[in-house]
This record gives sequence, C-alpha cells and structure tokens, in this order.
Amino acid sequence: MSISRDTIKALLLETLEEIGEDFQIEGLDAVDESTRLFGARSPLDSMGLVNVIAEIEDKLSELHGVEITLADEKAMSSTHSPFRSVGSCIDYIERLVAEESA
Amino acid sequence: MNKVALITGTRKGIGRQIAEHLLATGWTVAGCSRKANDLSHDNYRHYKIDISDESAVTTMVRAIKKEHGTIDALINNAGIASMNHLLLTPGKTVKAILDTNVAGAFYCLRECAKIMSRKRRGRIINFSSIATSLNLEGEAIYAASKAAIESLTRTAALELASSGITVNAIAPTPIETDLIKTVPKDALQKLINRQAIPRIGTMQDVINCIDFFLQEESNFITGQTLRLGGVTEN
Repeated sequence: MSISRDTIKALLLETLEEIGEDFQIEGLDAVDESTRLFGARSPLDSMGLVNVIAEIEDKLSELHGVEITLADEKAMSSTHSPFRSVGSCIDYIERLVAEESA
Repeated sequence: MNKVALITGTRKGIGRQIAEHLLATGWTVAGCSRKANDLSHDNYRHYKIDISDESAVTTMVRAIKKEHGTIDALINNAGIASMNHLLLTPGKTVKAILDTNVAGAFYCLRECAKIMSRKRRGRIINFSSIATSLNLEGEAIYAASKAAIESLTRTAALELASSGITVNAIAPTPIETDLIKTVPKDALQKLINRQAIPRIGTMQDVINCIDFFLQEESNFITGQTLRLGGVTEN
C-alpha cells in the first residue's frame, strides 16, 4: 500500500482543522507546509500535538489500512522532531508508510 | 448508548467476573486473553491476543474504536505471577512477568488513552497487588512489576489529567483465583494475617472498587492505589 504525498498532506491538514475546532485552538484552519507543529511558535500545545499524532495514526489505519506508530523518542525534540513543521511531518509519515509497505 | 470498556484478561478470574458484572450493568465490553474465551453475550467481543505483543494491542484497540467509536474505560487486569524464591527465578520468568504485567499494561494504557484523549474523558483502572506493599516473599518479580504499575499509575494520572482521563489502581488481597492456587496454604494465611482485616478477599470486594472508580462522581480521584484489606503503603 502506498499513499501519495498529496493524500498525506490532505489528511494532515484535515486533522489539524478538526483538532483546532474540537479543542478551540486558533490558527489551525489556515496552515501551510511551513507551519510549526512543535515549539513556542506552534499553535499546538504538547497535548494538542499528541492528539494530532493519535488521530493521524487512526485515520491511516481506518482509511488506508496502514498500521504505523508515529510517536517516537524524537517526537518532542525541538531540533530533531519530525513534527517540527507540517512539511517535515508529511515527509515523516510518507517515509513510515513506505517502510511499512516495503 | 452503552458505555464501552476494554478489560484485559477476561478468560477467567477477576477479569472474567468484572466483564460479567459490567455486561450485567449495561456496558459493552471488549475483552482479551491469550486463549479463547467461552464468555457469550450480545454486548461482548473477545480478542485472542497476548498483551505483551505491542502491535497486537494497537490493532485490537483500533478495532474496538472502529466498532464502537470510543472506549470509555480500560480495566488493565491481565497479569501473570510465578511463586519462587528469587535465587531460583530464571531470567525467562523475569522477562515474561515484566513483559505482560508492565509493558503489556502500558501498551493498553497508551492506546486507550489516545482514544480517550480525543474524547477528553476516560477512566483507566490498573491492577497492583498487596504483594508490593507487603514485600511478599517468593513473589519478588511479581511484586516489583506491581510496584512499577503503581508508579505508572501516578505518572499517567499527571500526564493524562488535562485530557480528562483518570488513572487509578486497585491492590487486591489474595482472592480465590488461579493466580494463588500454587501458594502454600500456610504462606497464604501468614500473608492474610498481615492485613488489618485478616480474611481472604472476594470478587465483590474488587468489583466494589471498580464501580467506585467508574462512577461519574469519581472524576476528582486520580493517581491513587486503593489497597484492600487495610493494607497500607508503609
């Protein structure tokens, strides 16, 4: 199973919008690939990011039958976190999905 | 709509009784064990998994979420024990006990908490044992695994409080289950004599604690280990 980068991007943006609405977090309805997902400049706090990660895992499983775990030791590291930005997060998901499918 | 609980270790013993109790009080229950379960009820679904298998736990929890939309409560009951002097306890036994009692319980907690966090509500009940507080001889690794569970309970309570999830633990006294059938009678009596209320526990004693932690009014109680029989921490 491979999923295109565009599909992953759409999935992530949709999830961010949903989490923004559900948890009343401003700034998640108009994001682009440079938007920070982690750190002081991110609209998300740490629990918000955890919820985004969990929701993405769930959607990948439910919609695409892909079982991956996105969280790892680097998830909350400001310099190495794959969740630094929307763009790096898409790249990270794309890599994990490819590894899972290999 | 029924509330949904995941109970681990439902094939027999405490887990089975809790499953039957919650089903009788209107819950939908998902249960798991390493072997098949003969528990049959319209609102019960069994998953044959080993909770020390991380990906099996993830798949099960996602399947429960897919079927029921949510998980309101996790009863983290599954556990194994091995009565032996520590000098005679092989590494294989140590790993098996820690894999199931600590890592397995953690996987279930983590996966359920992801779903509960999204709903901003949930109850997690772990199982410790008075073997930990009483430093039960012959159960060194089992007692250590339950000490880890009490610690996990306290930390998880802090990390998950902002998500509306409470995390507590029950530390039962010996109860008539398979877990204690290999414990010699005199050793069992010696243990019971160290309780403030020196009698063997009953399933009802445990179910009473479960009901207490699950009830709506208990939303201000988290990070606690409820020790039965009057056993205290020190």
